[in-house]
Amino acid sequence: MNMSETGRQWLHNLITQGQILPDQQLDWLDQNRQAAWQQMQSFELPDRKQEAWRYTSIDRLIKYNFLHTSELSEILPGTEIGEWILPDNSSYRLVFINGHCVPRLCNIQGLPRNVAIGCLRASMSTDGEVIRHYLSNPLFKQSSSTARDLFAALNTAYMDDGLFVHIPKNAALDRPIEVLHLNLAMDNELLILPRHLVVIDEGASATLIERYVSQGNHAYFSNNACDIFVNGNARLSHYRIQDESAQSHHLGRVNILQGADSNYKGVYLALGGSWSRCDIDARFSGKGAHCDIIGLYTVNAKQLTDFHLNVLHNHAHCSSRENFRGIIAGSGRAVFDGRIVVEKHAQKTDAQLTNKNLLLSLDAEVDTKPQLEIYADDVKCSHGTTVGQIDPKQVFYIRSRGIDEAMAKKMLCLGFAGEIFDQLDLPEVRSFVEQRVQNNLFAPQGQDVH
Amino acid sequence: MLQITDLHAAIDNKPILLGLNLTVNAGEVHAIMGPNASGKSTLSHVLAGKDGYEVTQGSIVYKGQNLLELPTEERARQGIFLAMQYPVELPGVNNMVFLRESLNAIRRARGESDIDAVAFLRLVKEKARLVHLDEKLLKRSVNTGFSGGEKKRNEILQMALLEPALAILDETDSGLDIDALRVVAEGVNALRSPQRAMIVVTHYQRLLDYIEPDYVHVLANGKIIRSGTKQLARELEEKGYGWITGGAAA
Repeated sequence: MNMSETGRQWLHNLITQGQILPDQQLDWLDQNRQAAWQQMQSFELPDRKQEAWRYTSIDRLIKYNFLHTSELSEILPGTEIGEWILPDNSSYRLVFINGHCVPRLCNIQGLPRNVAIGCLRASMSTDGEVIRHYLSNPLFKQSSSTARDLFAALNTAYMDDGLFVHIPKNAALDRPIEVLHLNLAMDNELLILPRHLVVIDEGASATLIERYVSQGNHAYFSNNACDIFVNGNARLSHYRIQDESAQSHHLGRVNILQGADSNYKGVYLALGGSWSRCDIDARFSGKGAHCDIIGLYTVNAKQLTDFHLNVLHNHAHCSSRENFRGIIAGSGRAVFDGRIVVEKHAQKTDAQLTNKNLLLSLDAEVDTKPQLEIYADDVKCSHGTTVGQIDPKQVFYIRSRGIDEAMAKKMLCLGFAGEIFDQLDLPEVRSFVEQRVQNNLFAPQGQDVH
Repeated sequence: MLQITDLHAAIDNKPILLGLNLTVNAGEVHAIMGPNASGKSTLSHVLAGKDGYEVTQGSIVYKGQNLLELPTEERARQGIFLAMQYPVELPGVNNMVFLRESLNAIRRARGESDIDAVAFLRLVKEKARLVHLDEKLLKRSVNTGFSGGEKKRNEILQMALLEPALAILDETDSGLDIDALRVVAEGVNALRSPQRAMIVVTHYQRLLDYIEPDYVHVLANGKIIRSGTKQLARELEEKGYGWITGGAAA
């Protein structure tokens, strides 16, 4: 069997062997699923002839017979989440295991009235109108979620459970929303298809911290999608930390639609995983909005990490900053594809895209591709990309002060990542991330951590 | 403390030092002067153990050990400090964290315990005052965006903190305005002690008005061609290096 036949068979298994979804008896949901199902039949399996997949092969994915499950078969009683969460009562906490909400691990005590934080499945009956309204937003539909490719359609075809956040007009949420996506990979090769929806209404503000982590040593594939609406003059700070096992496969889709004068700050960290890719798509529905999309990826032996950014400036007077840094060690591979499009009528756009990479070994590889497409004539746009190695002059300087070579390199790497760490406003999150970066890049060599 | 005997060193197979001899004892301050490309910086770098220099002949004995066998960090732990001509910027590496890590590495080598945070803060502030370094620079990344004078003062701050046995100042005066030069020199003078030796490498006699050397050596074409007292430096200033090197170098 050649590769494309293998792929076809893999796809067939993927979509026919899963469990039947619970019937919510919601017409709009069934229609969405069915439309996605139809689209899925017409999509080809991504391959490297397609520009969006040129540097990212899915060969690693199709080695496994991933199987979808719509129910959580078993939660181990000993499941410990302590190392991944903030101290009690400092956040509104939701815990999802294999894509499904586990109420006994959640803590949303004190949540203000009118604020909805919960799981999508249950919210479909309580907040069905809101969900239907946003998921059928025409501006959005064309961009992504269902229409982009096979994996996006797959997620929608199985749309069932995930995170649901709705902050009502002018509400300023007092604590961060903390969401732990724990993937338990205890035996079979799981396909996990979470679907998240985050709506910040006009003038409201919130902080959202998401962590994707795993327990267990079996392969799994999380194909998740998150739709975020930051409406007029609303604010969202969003930290998305992906830090999964060496057997994990992760494809994340984040779609952001910003209203006039809104502000979105997204900090994206990819710290671990066998094969991981995150596509971030941001666009505007009004003037004067600002978005920051910042990220760090650390990639070690045999890992692949891919970020695809697509920022569409389709309204005037909006600004955006995209700043990603990567540290690639061992035989790790990273892909960065950052694209900013400024439409003809989006005058006074101010956009900057930066991507800097540090390669720690001769085998490390990065493919970086910044793109600016500008159709307006009164804009301020720039992009810059660098790929470099640790500077021996810097190492010498540090060593000449009594610090050994391994520590010198570690200090330089953490320094390189420092600009991104500085964007992590919560000290607990920052120290967690710094520790994880050190472990990912340096622990295999057995060096001590100070 | 330091005996350099018949030192030959090359970089990229190009010989730079061609039989250099120098003996430095505790408590002494030696000035090494010389025209450009005479090998002054090569000497500094070979002493500190920078990669890329090949010692082809001769020996360096420091405190009774073969210095050339020690890696750079070990030399620093044994008390050698090089104040660099061009201090390197370390973006993202916090100056305070760097200084503390460095001091602790050296303290551990001396068999001392790590310094606690409060004591370190007090110490580093005291030393910063000594070299008139704005405390704000302690919280910034090492040398990143510092002016030339701030970088040199940060070097002397490190020296004051690490209390080396042998300090090498590689053209510390270059590019400094007169106030910065005075401040740096005061910092250096405050560290003079009977236990400590210093090698001051410079192109100009001016620095030696502020840091008075016990000995002055002229390095030209890879060798020390003349040694004397500070009087020698004055004569060099008046007559130029050509007076001594036979007119080849200015």
